[in-house]
Amino acid sequence: MSESVFTDATKMSGDRKAEDAIVVMRGVVKKFKDFVALKQIDFAVGRQEVVVVIGPSGSGKSTLIRCINRLEEHDQGEIIVDGTELTTDVKNIQEIRKETGMVFQSFNLFPHLTVLDNISLAPRQVRGMPKAEAEELSRELLERVKIPEQADKFPAQLSGGQQQRVAIARSLAMKPKVMLFDEPTSALDPEMINEVLDSIKQLASEGMTMVVVTHEMGFAREVADRVVFMADGEIVEVGTPTELFDSPKEPRTQKFLAQIL
Amino acid sequence: MILWLRRNLFRSIWDSITTIVFGGIALWFIWISIEFVFITGRWEIVEVNLKLFLVGRFPEELMWLIGASMVAIAFWVAAVAGGSPLGTEPRLRLGERIVDYVRRFGLIFALAILLVVLSNSMESLLWLGLIGVGVIAGRVVGRMRRDNKIIQKLPGIIWQPMIATPAIALVIFTLLESTLELWGGFLINFYMALISIILCFPLGLLLALGRRSSFPVIRVVCTTYIELIRGAPLFVLLLLAGVALEFFIPPTISPDAVFRGITVFTLFTAAYLAEIVRGGLQGIPSGQIEAGKALGLSTVKINSLITLPQALRSVIPAQIGQFISLFKDTTLAGVALNLFDVMTVGKVITKQDDFLGQGLIYESLIFVGLLFWVVSYVMSKESQRLEKRLGVGIR
Amino acid sequence: MSPLSSVSARPKFWRDVRFLRWVFQIFVLAVVFGILYWIYGNYQTNVERSAVPTDFGFLDNPASFTIPGSDFDQSSPVSAAFVRGFQNTMLVAVVGIIFSTIVGTLVGIARLSKNFLVKTLASAYVEIIRNLPLLLLITFMNLAVVLQTFPRIENAWQPFDLFVISNRGLALPWFEGSGLILLLIFAASIVVSLVVMKIERARADRTGQKSRAGIFAILIILGFLLVGWMLLDYSWTLPFVDGRGTTGGLRMDPSFFALIVALVLYTSSHVAEIVRGSIQAVHKGQGEAADALALSPGQKMRIIILPQAFRIAMPAIGNQYLNLTKNSSLGATISYFELTQIAQITVGNGSPAVPAFTLTLFIYLAISLATSLIVNFFNRRLALVER
Repeated sequence: MSESVFTDATKMSGDRKAEDAIVVMRGVVKKFKDFVALKQIDFAVGRQEVVVVIGPSGSGKSTLIRCINRLEEHDQGEIIVDGTELTTDVKNIQEIRKETGMVFQSFNLFPHLTVLDNISLAPRQVRGMPKAEAEELSRELLERVKIPEQADKFPAQLSGGQQQRVAIARSLAMKPKVMLFDEPTSALDPEMINEVLDSIKQLASEGMTMVVVTHEMGFAREVADRVVFMADGEIVEVGTPTELFDSPKEPRTQKFLAQIL
Repeated sequence: MILWLRRNLFRSIWDSITTIVFGGIALWFIWISIEFVFITGRWEIVEVNLKLFLVGRFPEELMWLIGASMVAIAFWVAAVAGGSPLGTEPRLRLGERIVDYVRRFGLIFALAILLVVLSNSMESLLWLGLIGVGVIAGRVVGRMRRDNKIIQKLPGIIWQPMIATPAIALVIFTLLESTLELWGGFLINFYMALISIILCFPLGLLLALGRRSSFPVIRVVCTTYIELIRGAPLFVLLLLAGVALEFFIPPTISPDAVFRGITVFTLFTAAYLAEIVRGGLQGIPSGQIEAGKALGLSTVKINSLITLPQALRSVIPAQIGQFISLFKDTTLAGVALNLFDVMTVGKVITKQDDFLGQGLIYESLIFVGLLFWVVSYVMSKESQRLEKRLGVGIR
Repeated sequence: MSPLSSVSARPKFWRDVRFLRWVFQIFVLAVVFGILYWIYGNYQTNVERSAVPTDFGFLDNPASFTIPGSDFDQSSPVSAAFVRGFQNTMLVAVVGIIFSTIVGTLVGIARLSKNFLVKTLASAYVEIIRNLPLLLLITFMNLAVVLQTFPRIENAWQPFDLFVISNRGLALPWFEGSGLILLLIFAASIVVSLVVMKIERARADRTGQKSRAGIFAILIILGFLLVGWMLLDYSWTLPFVDGRGTTGGLRMDPSFFALIVALVLYTSSHVAEIVRGSIQAVHKGQGEAADALALSPGQKMRIIILPQAFRIAMPAIGNQYLNLTKNSSLGATISYFELTQIAQITVGNGSPAVPAFTLTLFIYLAISLATSLIVNFFNRRLALVER
């Protein structure tokens, strides 16, 4: 592998070629009024690749993944997800949201629905899946995140860790091709972080494509195929966990890692 | 006992003086009230005109329809209230539960008994019994909806009309069987409020969503409507509807006064309801909408499945408050549209030959006040109870 | 734009969300205008059919009714009647707002009293009044209290010979002729007392002693009034019964009295609930914090709780002011000559209904708008000062 890998975020890990990319961003710019949150981002995610995005707060990492499923609308450049470009076309956005799952920092479970209804809602309403089938799927997913017994409870009756695992199951129910995690453990009490990380690790081992924004460096080192360091709306450095954590090249990366580790 | 007195009434000299002064006023007031109610008041004016007060000149032979409608409405309300899984209620033993019900609904029951006694007929007692049966049946059905796994599966869009059908069908049937001019008394206030509440709901929801819409044009249209209506006095709108509605509709339609009233109450309450619902929508974290979007739900589905159900639930107390005030405001229609509503009855009967010039307006208006007061008071207490339960329950 | 991005990916315009959004909005706008146009069309045909005027020319016609107790007579134009109605509406609104605020605040605080009796009475007041229809209160005050219970003018009640109470209205002693002087003296006393309060506070801050600013202020105002009394000799008149009416003092129409009392009862019961709720909302955490600082109960209320409660209560109370103003239209039901009553009479006398009521509605709208602007102004000031 050549040296240039470390600055080019479109180069995917392993021997993936350009046509293996499932998410491609080219020259993406996102502004909030006068503040430029993303400055000319070029970025790609390959199939079955796990990319971890790290960086100081306000560096644009959340904005980056929120642009992928268009919770934020980018101002310039192009974003292609699974072969479909994100444009103002009336169908595109809905199509892309069906193919991407997102897990939020603050869980965002629907408090007025039971756990089971939270999970089966989207398959039934968006995919038109029959109720029985959707509920069976939901129970399987709860099995996978190891809380099958909570199916009939309401979100408020669960612990933070359990809620986040329900949120993961809820996203998986749409059988997404890409999973986006926006600081999934930041709102959790320390003792619950591991149960959620375990669920995410298990997903990674099953070959799910994922983009994870996180502050959990241990987790990044263990699971990531590639680590992206962002600062000031730019991708500063990219590399394998070993490369990036053990021998960071850029001064901004070095400074950030020195503060956090 | 003495300790209680000291702590609550005579903490200091000033406190004692206040207690004595206010105690004197209170005792005097209680005394004249008791004297009036039991000794000097001439309640025969109410007794003689009871039917006029309650249903106006509604034909005697159709009275059973009103009785049956009341039973169906009681069933409906009890089924809705009993079936709502709002928060967690402490489980009570039978004895405690009876005490609880008496505390909450005793006033309504007492009023019903008073009316039966005043009416002096076995028939009304029978209907009261049937209404009681309706309430119990509604409660049982509501509880089944809440606790029975199979009935729970029914979607609300089927269930809600199902329990409402008997009431709505009977009200419509009553409408068809009798002419609207014959409606009167408390019945007209009650029905106008009920029908307007049901009708203003969809409009209010649409206005609330429209005011928060991302479409600027729709936002402006809805905001203009809401603010125009909220800036206008209801009484003037009713007067306008009374003399000027025919100018705005094709000459082939000649609306009657009850219809005009319901139109104005619906359009008016919808604007206020919209503001209440908007308040509820604002309280919903943006993450809820984002989660819906991330799952690929369309805007319509996000609103109908995620934001609106939560918003509506959180503002139930405010909605009830708005409906109470609508209920009280139906009295304005009596004056503005010359309807024979209960307030009008209260004023007119003092001019009957038997009672003319005998100064019985106190008796008459106090009775009218009692009808409104009991219903409004019990409803507002229930909504406060609900507010507490919503605060600590699921969520 | 990045050289990498392709232009070919722009969607066709009929699939473009931005385009579709405008199509949808134009469609909605068309529907709204369609409805309005339909209503307007109906209005045109109906007006032509019944040959009623649609303009505001009726405002110049003679009103052909009189407003008793004023110089408004048959020949005055309708426009003058509307002006009179507007003045009366504003009078009811201002007087009603002042008294509702005072009564409501007192009752609201009384509901939180430690004295059981005071608390119960305040609660009873609120719970009884709040759950009655306003129209019932107005009718009751008018028909039962004023017209039936108040005596005829021949045997009017004249407590302490200061008031005259009869079914022809109320009369109070009034500073006739010297109202302006009194107002000036009062204003001057307030200015001086504010200055003294400031000096006294500064002294208290410097020495650490307790501030007596409140007592000083009251003494100064009383002193000014007393000095004015001795030097300028206010002229004031007592009302007395004079044949079929009263002379002297300030006369109140019976319908005005009934309307104001009913409106104040009703609105104050709502204000009381808002005041109580706001105090309770602040009380919890802030009260504990104040206790932890060992402030006295009085200090706690004055320094910590009331200022914050006031800020919470302000928007809701502003709403009540708006409601009171709009509810004053019910004065028409007891023949008080406010705006709605004027509109009703002129329409009854042959003025076209739609223009007359539209004018009325717009005046109310203007009043509401002005009131909410004032309330918002105070809100913003409060929010800035308190933050």
